[in-house]
Amino acid sequence: MILDPSILAQLAWTGFANATFTCLFAIALALVLKVNRVWNFAQAGMMVVAYGCMYAGTRWVGLPLAAAFGLGLVGTVAVSLGLERFGFRTLRLRGASSLTFFIFTLVVSQFVTYLAELVFGTESTTLVDNVVTPVRLVWGVAVSEWDLKAVSATVVLVAALAGFLKLSSWGQRLVAVADSPDLAELYGTGRDAAYGISIGIAAVLTTAGMLLLGTKAATVPSSPLQEFLVMALLATILAGVGNVFGAAAAALVVGIGQGFAVLFMPSQWTPLLTYALMAVAIVVFPGGVRFRVGRR
Amino acid sequence: MQYLVTIGILAELSALLAVSLNLVLGYGGLLSVAHPIFYGLGAYGSALLAMHAGVPVPVAVGLAALGCAAASVPLAMASLRVSGDYFVIVSMGFQLGVLQIINNIEITGATGGLSGIPTFASGPDRSLIALGVLGVAVVAVVWLVRAVVQSPFGRALTAMRNDEEALAALGRDPVRMKMAVFALSAGIAGMAGGLYAHVFQFLSPTQFGLETSTALLTMVVVGGTATIYGPLVGAVLITAVPQAIQFLRLPPGVSSPLQGIIFSVLVLGFLFLRPQGLMGGRRGGGGLDRWSGRRPGLPSGRRA
Repeated sequence: MILDPSILAQLAWTGFANATFTCLFAIALALVLKVNRVWNFAQAGMMVVAYGCMYAGTRWVGLPLAAAFGLGLVGTVAVSLGLERFGFRTLRLRGASSLTFFIFTLVVSQFVTYLAELVFGTESTTLVDNVVTPVRLVWGVAVSEWDLKAVSATVVLVAALAGFLKLSSWGQRLVAVADSPDLAELYGTGRDAAYGISIGIAAVLTTAGMLLLGTKAATVPSSPLQEFLVMALLATILAGVGNVFGAAAAALVVGIGQGFAVLFMPSQWTPLLTYALMAVAIVVFPGGVRFRVGRR
Repeated sequence: MQYLVTIGILAELSALLAVSLNLVLGYGGLLSVAHPIFYGLGAYGSALLAMHAGVPVPVAVGLAALGCAAASVPLAMASLRVSGDYFVIVSMGFQLGVLQIINNIEITGATGGLSGIPTFASGPDRSLIALGVLGVAVVAVVWLVRAVVQSPFGRALTAMRNDEEALAALGRDPVRMKMAVFALSAGIAGMAGGLYAHVFQFLSPTQFGLETSTALLTMVVVGGTATIYGPLVGAVLITAVPQAIQFLRLPPGVSSPLQGIIFSVLVLGFLFLRPQGLMGGRRGGGGLDRWSGRRPGLPSGRRA
């Protein structure tokens, strides 16, 4: 009964659709790690800023969701650029250790979370009145309107990022700075500009992810740090440093895996699986999981 | 008066945690955020031993401290393979994982918390007794940490922080050193947890999460990383200053985040304006600049 193909297909699809926003968070984290060389724990703060701006737009000002998304983009990009310019750059120039970067990014996230708790309270909220969207059956699998929008938005954003990195001049400059900032600067690419663009893109992805999350489920200000950042970290670790699209794939695989986990464990234990997997993955595969063994 | 005594007890508990975290972080250079989970394990362990096995409170606290020292072994083993940012993530996974277990098992009271814990001391002066006992514990722990840091082991520990490979080349065994420093630090945290459980007689998993990790890091950074008395000063300051908010008589929904904001602003201010902390000197007297960790983001976490 439980191994019925339609049930398995449903679990796979639901896990896949629900992993779309994690996928965007993972790409954002992996991109900043690759280009700016910072494990950006402050991304949880960026998520809270994005959600807070969109929530204020929709709930307080009464803006349509699209306009609130625009407001979220402006707020998150501005905060992210400020974070890079006044935070990371200052620490980089000072030659600060990874301990300093870690404390800074974690404390920024906590600061934003506390600020959001002060402004919005600690009750769970959503961006829309009704998070239930119409459902249709596709080959026996229930597919909601939200699922389709989330998957489409994620595919478009990932494709746009891939196109930007592969085809545009600035995309290639970002890759060059990621490979060697000094060499890139020698060839005329300002590293500060590259760092700004990288974290700006991460802000866009983060805002889009929070829009998807806020129209699907209720969230509280502490959720990004406690929950979603951990998933993004896990995906980045599994993919290996520098593998931005690998992190996206890992996020989707982990999301689908979590969907199937309900078959053999109560749902309240699935976060434990994530934490355990994260600890084991980083100890056993600190360079990421490689499917090709050996190199000629 | 009772209020001031309670603040004093909390400051002493924070001091025990900050001083023991500084041993691993400041002197050992091991960037672990999981310290509060040893505090939590000590608290739950001691409380459960006293409640269900009828173990006397002082023995329960001692056993919990030993248990925490043993529980630090997996984390110490992980530090043999990864370091820097990678180790932070491992320690975070360890902390959140153990917290998830505490949150979901019946014997710990799960999310509802654990109450009915046997008291530390009875009578009207029990808070003052707790204040005195914890004061003695703080003095003893500071003396112990000072002795460790100034011993040949302590000098080797600092050398390990600065260059582990060079230390190994000189014939010292970083593996044993890491295990020892983790066990000592976790044992102290476990003892603090046990004392907390029997003084306040109620435990909730939310007390041992990432917020507590940040608060402890704040204490160490504000006081001065890799200094003997810095974390002590940081703990007292960080525990006492946000209490000023209480006098404003704000609703809990406002005062709690406001305290967090004060924590965060303090640590951010110190990170940028005085990274050596209150007690750290500019010429090698401790502080974040003494910590020569790997630059962030580089894929060099694997140890040979």
